[in-house]
Amino acid sequence: MNITFETKSNCTVIHLTGRIDVTNSNDFETALIPILGDHRYSFLINCAELNYISSSGLRVFLLAQKKVMAARGHLFLCCMQPMIREIFDISGLSTIFDIRESEEEVLQQAD
Amino acid sequence: METKGKIQFILDNKVDELSLLSAKVETMADLWDFSESLTMNLNLVLEEAISNIVFYAFNNEDEQKIYLTIEYDDDTLTALIMDCGIPFDPTRQAAPDITLPAEERTIGGLGIFLINKLMDHVEYCRKENMNILTLKKRIK
Repeated sequence: MNITFETKSNCTVIHLTGRIDVTNSNDFETALIPILGDHRYSFLINCAELNYISSSGLRVFLLAQKKVMAARGHLFLCCMQPMIREIFDISGLSTIFDIRESEEEVLQQAD
Repeated sequence: METKGKIQFILDNKVDELSLLSAKVETMADLWDFSESLTMNLNLVLEEAISNIVFYAFNNEDEQKIYLTIEYDDDTLTALIMDCGIPFDPTRQAAPDITLPAEERTIGGLGIFLINKLMDHVEYCRKENMNILTLKKRIK
């Protein structure tokens, strides 16, 4: 798993690469959660290169959503591969995340 | 049905074993020409089932073994997972409420829920002090 951050206008874009599983979900949590929450910014997790997720990774996504919601910010997810989207759908998580097709779509809205 | 492939693993009850296992499963899946999505789902259910065993099946720090067999024939992929930990039947756990709003949602029980959703058949039995979990998925 690799995670990088980039600020584009008032949106923090988070790029995830690789796998998030039970062996590294704590690292993912430590890297992601502290940067979330400031209501002046939107947050976008670009999942284009995320190619594996298990329930331990989903737990961190849920934590992220709770933290951003509590701070009245907005969290977007985009560019999910179909097999990752399927896991979100089955878990009933697609209904609680704002999932978009492309990064551009989100950045236009966040501007 | 003719068996087309079969592979067996003996894992220590350590979470790091799952990284090694997933790499091996990917190599095997390439060889067996599984789709990327089937490979991910297989790795996912193995991770959920085996991490449950690692975290909850044993009450002491002793080294324990977990036995895994993956096999496929013309139309079915079967994974058999065995451990000699405390009895635990994943088929009898309550499903999480996946309709709750984000604030009330928890992730507890989601791993087993995913196993049940992603597999076509999940069967548990306890035999001679062993938990035996059989997972089956129809493949084309």
